[in-house]
Amino acid sequence: MTTQIATNILNTAALYLLIAVGFGLIYGTVRFFNFAHASVYTVSAYVAYAAANLIGGSVLFNGVLGVLSGTLLGGLTEVVVYRPLRRIGASSVVLLITSLGILLVLQNALSLLFGDDTKSLQSVASAGHVVDFLGSRITPVQVVLLGSAVGASVLLAVGLRLTRLGTVLRAVANDSSLAQSVGIDVDGAVLASFLIGSALAGIGGVLWAYNTALNPQMGFTALLMGVVAAVIGGVGSVSGAIAGAIFVAVTQQIGMWFFPSEWQDVIVFPILLLFLLVRPQGFFGKPLKKATI
Amino acid sequence: MTNDGRPTLRCEGLSKSFDGTHALQNVRLEFPSAGIVAIIGPNGAGKTTLLNVLTGFLRADGGRFFLGERELTRLPPHKISRLGIARTFQDLRLISQVPVLENVLLARPNQKGERLLPALLRYGVAREEARNHEEAMRWLWFVGLDEKAHEAAGELSYGQQKLLALACCLAAEGRILLLDEPVAGVHPEMISQILDNLRQLREQGRLVVFIEHDIAAVRQVADTVVVMDEGRVIAQGKPNEVLEKPEIIEAYVG
Amino acid sequence: MDYAAHILILTAIYVSLAISLDLLAGRMGILSIAHAGFYGLGAYTAALLVIRCGAPFMIGVVAGMGVAALISLVVSLPSLRLHDDYFVIATFGFQMILFSIFTNWMDLTNGPMGIPGIPQPVILGWRVDTHLEFLMLAAIFATASCLVVWRITTSPLGRVLHAIREDEVFAKSLGKNTLRFKVTVFAVSAALAAMAGSLYAHYITYIDPTSFTVMESILVISMVIIGGAGSLWGPLVGAVVLVTLPEALRFVGLPSSVAANLRQIIYGSLLVVMMMFRPRGLVGNCGFSK
Repeated sequence: MTTQIATNILNTAALYLLIAVGFGLIYGTVRFFNFAHASVYTVSAYVAYAAANLIGGSVLFNGVLGVLSGTLLGGLTEVVVYRPLRRIGASSVVLLITSLGILLVLQNALSLLFGDDTKSLQSVASAGHVVDFLGSRITPVQVVLLGSAVGASVLLAVGLRLTRLGTVLRAVANDSSLAQSVGIDVDGAVLASFLIGSALAGIGGVLWAYNTALNPQMGFTALLMGVVAAVIGGVGSVSGAIAGAIFVAVTQQIGMWFFPSEWQDVIVFPILLLFLLVRPQGFFGKPLKKATI
Repeated sequence: MTNDGRPTLRCEGLSKSFDGTHALQNVRLEFPSAGIVAIIGPNGAGKTTLLNVLTGFLRADGGRFFLGERELTRLPPHKISRLGIARTFQDLRLISQVPVLENVLLARPNQKGERLLPALLRYGVAREEARNHEEAMRWLWFVGLDEKAHEAAGELSYGQQKLLALACCLAAEGRILLLDEPVAGVHPEMISQILDNLRQLREQGRLVVFIEHDIAAVRQVADTVVVMDEGRVIAQGKPNEVLEKPEIIEAYVG
Repeated sequence: MDYAAHILILTAIYVSLAISLDLLAGRMGILSIAHAGFYGLGAYTAALLVIRCGAPFMIGVVAGMGVAALISLVVSLPSLRLHDDYFVIATFGFQMILFSIFTNWMDLTNGPMGIPGIPQPVILGWRVDTHLEFLMLAAIFATASCLVVWRITTSPLGRVLHAIREDEVFAKSLGKNTLRFKVTVFAVSAALAAMAGSLYAHYITYIDPTSFTVMESILVISMVIIGGAGSLWGPLVGAVVLVTLPEALRFVGLPSSVAANLRQIIYGSLLVVMMMFRPRGLVGNCGFSK
């Protein structure tokens, strides 16, 4: 029984980790709260759903199509909307508002095309082949979810340290105007972070859709949990994201012992407030500094 | 320069590092209760950092500072300001889109009209505004900007903006003024006006502490000079003593 | 005639919402995603007090405002002293959990089934039972909101708020406790949103959680931005445009569910386009064009 609980925790943590890492990567280079990330997540899930129902593709095909759509969407928002705004010196509030506009458009487009009801994307991969692992039941989709989350984190952590792109991304995240002045292609770095970050959100969206269900609001909860995980763990740190994701998932699980399961999202909020009060930099991060001197 | 029993500003053991660089190392200073003190030193000596710590904008890593008996070390900037320690900024902070007069009115302390209920009900606010208006104009006249009162602050010349910043400090009833480069980059004519104002402030019994690179200006008005380098105080004393020392001239081309 | 009154009443409610959000977002430059949550708090507090405790209308309204202002402190005190993005996260989280609470606390709020049968307002013997009378009440409430915001912004308090927005460091150096100002303004904005909420509850006579979602918060933000943040006319124009536009769409003959989505797609696109080409909005003066 306890291993089942552990598996549940790991599943949820895996999703939050994907969001936390992806969002954190993008935030690092553009420094504004990109609400459209929630839409990338949701659109990816719905594209997979559409592919499953319209084309009847395999799970792999639908999934890849969904992730690619999300990645493309994320890249487009950067190139078509955010980059021109950055050129004219838009503040982070302006960029945030713009991301809300994009969110509005995409959310409603999905509602229009698919309706507001919850859809199911069950398949052999999610329900059929249930594997017994140390006394807990785990589906192939959940295995892929866990694997992707861990794999993505490791790849990112390693990549940020060892590859040229990783160094560029860290330089831009640290000080983008300084990076620009030494000749780094900041726009390219930003685009890369959007593509990678959106791909991670897309993977999360598709896999979670297969794991549970889809509805147009799914992006909001996922985004909130992922961001809270990032804050608790420490913004800008992959290990922080891992710690934060596990912490949030464990908190929710503990909460479910005391409160009915529908309250599990509410439980997280006081924890967030507590961290903001006592340790805003989270476990491993540096606090986002207000512009002082 | 007087020490007349009024609370004096002093610090001991102040240290601050950024990412391994020691901006301040064990700084110990005691300021008179009135007069003009100049702080000079090469770039990166820690002068502005010291100012930021003394006004609460930066938290020191170690050490303490006091106004009289009262310890100020952990206080936030707005509380230090209300104790009568006013400051200007190296990169000239003002509200540029609003009139000069508005900036000075903003500086007036203890405004009832800034509280929610009086703002809504306006009981006595008009009278308070009128009084503050008078005070504000008085300080604008003092720095010679009274005719510009209704121009946007952003329209003033650089030197005039520095005078405006000074007027704001005075309107805020600052008895101790910490000025970061009050004459740097200013037209020579304006410089003498600013220095004149500083002398008048000394006569009014205030303490003016200013950071400057302009040694001529320092010689003209300062009673005491404090020299900093690499986060430490390396000399202090009367201008003609300190500024003649060979090691000072060497460390810092005069 | 009743239809026109209905549109005007809704407009008046949204004017209250938009202008109270603008006090925070437009004048102070702090964006909150929780405005619909406070709107809902006001609606539920008023509805519950009137139905369960038989409280008079105005008590319900004032209680809603008090609850909203108090609860706003829970969000603002931990987060406003930190970087603005923490405040965004906190209000986003707060909005989400308020919706969760409205939906899940069955004993109190009746969950997704909502609270029906909210009676008509009675104020000192005046029973508001026609559309026209309700319109008068709504107009009074909207005017009150505008008056509060106008008084604040034209007072020395408004001067400090503007300064905090333009240069918070400068404001601090002049002795202003900027955190206290921000927390106060957030509480006022929450209280005014709650006031609009109690009005809404008594008008529609039925409330459920779906009126108080994140999307609703974003809608109010759109009104403020499209109209023009940081001005009195901006949120007003924004509310008028965004409430009446869907009615125009109805005349084109679209089914109402399609119209609902389509109108939000238009608002979203307008937001993006405005931010790119006219950040000051339709009638605003400076907005966020820094």
